[in-house]
Amino acid sequence: MIEKLMFALIAIPAIAGVLALVVPSRIRGAREFIAMLATILNLFIIIALFGKTHSFSYPWVGFGLEFSMRLYHFSSFIILASAGFSFLICMYSTTFMMNKNHVGQFYAYLLLSVAMVNGAVLADNLVVLLFFWEGLLLTLFGMIIIGHKGAYKTAVKAFIIAGVTDLCLMLGIGLVFYITKGNLTISKLNIPLDTALASTAFILIMIGAISKAGSMPFHSWIPDAAVDAPLPFMAFLPAALEKLLGIYLLARISLDMFQLTAFSWVSTLMMVIGSLTILFAVMMALVQKDYKKLLSYHAISQVGYMILGIGTAVPAGIVGGLFHMINHAMYKSCLFLTGGSVEKQTGTTDLARLGGIGKYMPVTFTCFIIAAAAISGVPPLNGFFSKELVYDGALERHWIFYAAALLGSFLTAASFLKLGHAAYLGKESPAVRNVKEAPMPMLIPMIVIAGGCVLFGLYNPLPLNNLIQPILGDKLEGHNYTGWPHSVFLVVMTLVALAAAYANHLFGVRKAGKAIGASDHIHHAPGLSEIYDAAEKGLLDPYNIGLKIAGFIASLAWRIDRGVDWLYDTLTVESAYDLTDIIKEQHTGKYSTYIIWSLVGLLVIILYFSISLI
Amino acid sequence: MNNNTLILLAIFIPLLGSLILPLLGCISCRMRNLAALIMVLTSLVCATLMMPSVLAGEHSKITLIFPLGFNFVLVADMLSIFMAIVSSLTGAIIVFYSFDYISHYENQNEYYLMVVMFLGSMMGIIFSANLILLYVFWELTALTSWRLIGFFREKNHVLKADKSFLVTVFGAVVMLVGFVMIYQQTGSFDYDVIKEKLTATNPLSSIAVIFILFGILSKSATLPLHTWLPDAGVAPSPVTALLHAAVLVKIGVYVYARLFISTFTVDEVWHTIIPFIAAVSALVSAGAALIETDMKRIIAYSTVSQIAFIFLGLAVGGELAITGGLLYILMHGLAKGGLFLCAGIVEQNTKVKDITKLGGLIHTMPVTAISFLLCAFSVMGIPPFGGFFSKYMVITGAVGSGQLFIAFTFIFGAFLTLIYLFRLFTMIFMGEVKTPSKGENSPIMLTSVAMLAVLSLISGLYINYIAGPVQNTAQQMLGMIK
Repeated sequence: MIEKLMFALIAIPAIAGVLALVVPSRIRGAREFIAMLATILNLFIIIALFGKTHSFSYPWVGFGLEFSMRLYHFSSFIILASAGFSFLICMYSTTFMMNKNHVGQFYAYLLLSVAMVNGAVLADNLVVLLFFWEGLLLTLFGMIIIGHKGAYKTAVKAFIIAGVTDLCLMLGIGLVFYITKGNLTISKLNIPLDTALASTAFILIMIGAISKAGSMPFHSWIPDAAVDAPLPFMAFLPAALEKLLGIYLLARISLDMFQLTAFSWVSTLMMVIGSLTILFAVMMALVQKDYKKLLSYHAISQVGYMILGIGTAVPAGIVGGLFHMINHAMYKSCLFLTGGSVEKQTGTTDLARLGGIGKYMPVTFTCFIIAAAAISGVPPLNGFFSKELVYDGALERHWIFYAAALLGSFLTAASFLKLGHAAYLGKESPAVRNVKEAPMPMLIPMIVIAGGCVLFGLYNPLPLNNLIQPILGDKLEGHNYTGWPHSVFLVVMTLVALAAAYANHLFGVRKAGKAIGASDHIHHAPGLSEIYDAAEKGLLDPYNIGLKIAGFIASLAWRIDRGVDWLYDTLTVESAYDLTDIIKEQHTGKYSTYIIWSLVGLLVIILYFSISLI
Repeated sequence: MNNNTLILLAIFIPLLGSLILPLLGCISCRMRNLAALIMVLTSLVCATLMMPSVLAGEHSKITLIFPLGFNFVLVADMLSIFMAIVSSLTGAIIVFYSFDYISHYENQNEYYLMVVMFLGSMMGIIFSANLILLYVFWELTALTSWRLIGFFREKNHVLKADKSFLVTVFGAVVMLVGFVMIYQQTGSFDYDVIKEKLTATNPLSSIAVIFILFGILSKSATLPLHTWLPDAGVAPSPVTALLHAAVLVKIGVYVYARLFISTFTVDEVWHTIIPFIAAVSALVSAGAALIETDMKRIIAYSTVSQIAFIFLGLAVGGELAITGGLLYILMHGLAKGGLFLCAGIVEQNTKVKDITKLGGLIHTMPVTAISFLLCAFSVMGIPPFGGFFSKYMVITGAVGSGQLFIAFTFIFGAFLTLIYLFRLFTMIFMGEVKTPSKGENSPIMLTSVAMLAVLSLISGLYINYIAGPVQNTAQQMLGMIK
């Protein structure tokens, strides 16, 4: 029975997705109904399965490639979270996507993504995981391309970035196959990280994982997608499901597939990537002037905390990283949804055209405040507790990582003060006068998720004891991280950073004269403004740099190819003509010349035979 | 019917039957087209009918002894059955597509004669078990492809056809010298005898290996013998599809699998040299595909690059890699055939091949665009398309043989594949409309491309039914099972 339900987790959303694609758009509400039904069923099944353990395996392709799946607390936790988000976002979309183009495709890709995520998380064989994981490329591509007519550029960008890193993942899996001599079963892997080969395999798989989570340097499609793709997509994939999936794999490889210790250089590498992602992305977020784009840079920056936490390889950091994963998925999707209702009601997300909408949209504004406070790490919301744990772990390794994380928090708080102030408070812009509050199906998901942020903060033993800490098992070393942070120093420093952010905001607003310019003093600071200009031109985009390198290699290859072709088309042909010309010249028509040639030839033959006889 | 009859039917129905097609064409075009399709399908049906007994371990062999080793020997084992099914399946879809495509042009009788004879001689290559017999069929494909590439008879086209003929025939003649050297070493042209005579202590001489490889690489268009293949893009689209997906370049790969894996014992060093050649070929051609602007030439470079993946799988050896290489032949055949046929529809509708002058066609040609995209996904190796499994197996097999550097190079080649295929797709189908098209008006052509796209998808979804027999084939080739 459990096995059938596990299959149903993949089959129901997949079949519903195909149905949503083929149902004619004439039947009003049919596609919405199918999508809602499938996501509700998905949620019920995983609630029924939660807490159960089951694994099975069927022969599939051979060579250690079996169709094996495993349900246990970690996988059911991720599926539960993704089922919850997909249900809420589906409900939100029924209103948001109404009267938009390609609605059928939108629901189809949404449901297929759910199926793929469920499959990837349940997979207990690396190739099965890769199968579903890479399958997400298709739905990612599809969901972006339906945005508008020019969105295909972003879709291709997202596909190529994700596709390239998925190929790295494939190579990493190939290396695991080689190292373990054919073992691909995830639950049976425990590879020591003592050889260069094992470290390479770890890094390749890590690239796949952090790229799915949206970390730097694989991030640059996310801000573009924020502009081009339909908004629920942002709340759904980059903010929630992809983060869950990427961090899930990262945790799996760090906790049980490989023996990652705090002393290995790969652990330090992960912390460096995490810290840099936090800082660079939040710096970009700070200067954005568009609601959705600002959020999208935070979606990148926050991944840094998770990678940093897990990369510390100490219990506090890992618990913090995983807790941050679920917290982030909550407040970030909530923030995107508030962005969506602002877009739906006012028709814009440009901060310059917004302002003072807080009093017209009080529920949206309240949800925004809760989620923004959570992401900034204001106690007692969920983001505060997970960040404290990450700080704790980072400080245990080296103060520099802690400093980076804290600086990131300061900038995060500053940018959300600016966003909230510019969009919801301040002078009312004429464009948004008398807007109405968003309709119910859009409000409920936001309220539920914002409520979750409060719940997971005030009653943090609930998620920590039931969801997060069991994942670590023995690795917890007897610690229990529930309740208030134990280090007063960390809490005080956090409060100082928040206060500094508020002071900075006031300073910025006073200097610029308006809320939207609150970060201008940083944007135009000497030294920084040149970097910002380069970033805005796309010069620092790793995707563009990568394409340039590929283009350079391609032009080299093209020269080689043309060189080879020259051998055929020019050299061979020309030398054939030259040779025949020489021979032609010998045909003078004089018998005497011919006779001499014949005699010379005869002489050569006689010489050859007499030499070979001797 | 026993298997011996089936082998003969699979080869000679298309090979000899093709000769009556022009006569039928004088009576009725429709009858001729149908007869052509039936002849190709005969090969498919015969090969499929043989499969159960061959899977069970029964080897059918027809032998007629002639003097000087010129024996007439035909053999049906899993490798030949597999290859025959792949070739005749894609071949049949391409012939079906031609019903419409070629009806707009002159010389249709010759077209069908050549295409069916082409496929017939491919069957001959597949089933023959004697080097001289192989050579005869090999040259027959060279002749027919020469006529087909220059089919439109423009001066430039004929020159390109001459080029491909000269390169492949030159390669074949060099290969023939290699065959003679084998005869000197072993005293026979028959695969069976050669296999017995060559042992690890007495491997095939390296000179002979080089000569034979030269022939194989020239046929399968691997660097540095590849430039005739992009040039052959002047041919009618179904013909290019046939060259790339079903027959011509696959001959090289098949003969490599047949001779170097199942028959010859060669020095170990070749298991490193050939993947190296393949890696260079994969990178150079993928790079060229990124610069080129003629859509058929881009797809042609892509073939050169993908063939290198097949060679990688076959050359590094081992059960996994060889299974991957064989699966790659199937997946590549389906997807690449689809890409060329889509390009054919675009070309016929817009009369343009330069992608910088195309764009936005998805609105007027949605079925073509979607089929193209699905086939491209399969070539890229995206699940759930079939290409995913073959790519995974080849890469893992290469890693498994310890050749990590080569595996990294091929991953880079796969990056470039993603980029150039998307470049191709977006420049033809997305963005601004530069050349208007009349829209899709040929159900026959659309059915063919949609069929290939769907087959690419199905081959991935039902991989468990395909992988078993293919793995069986690999085991048979390695002599692990009878």
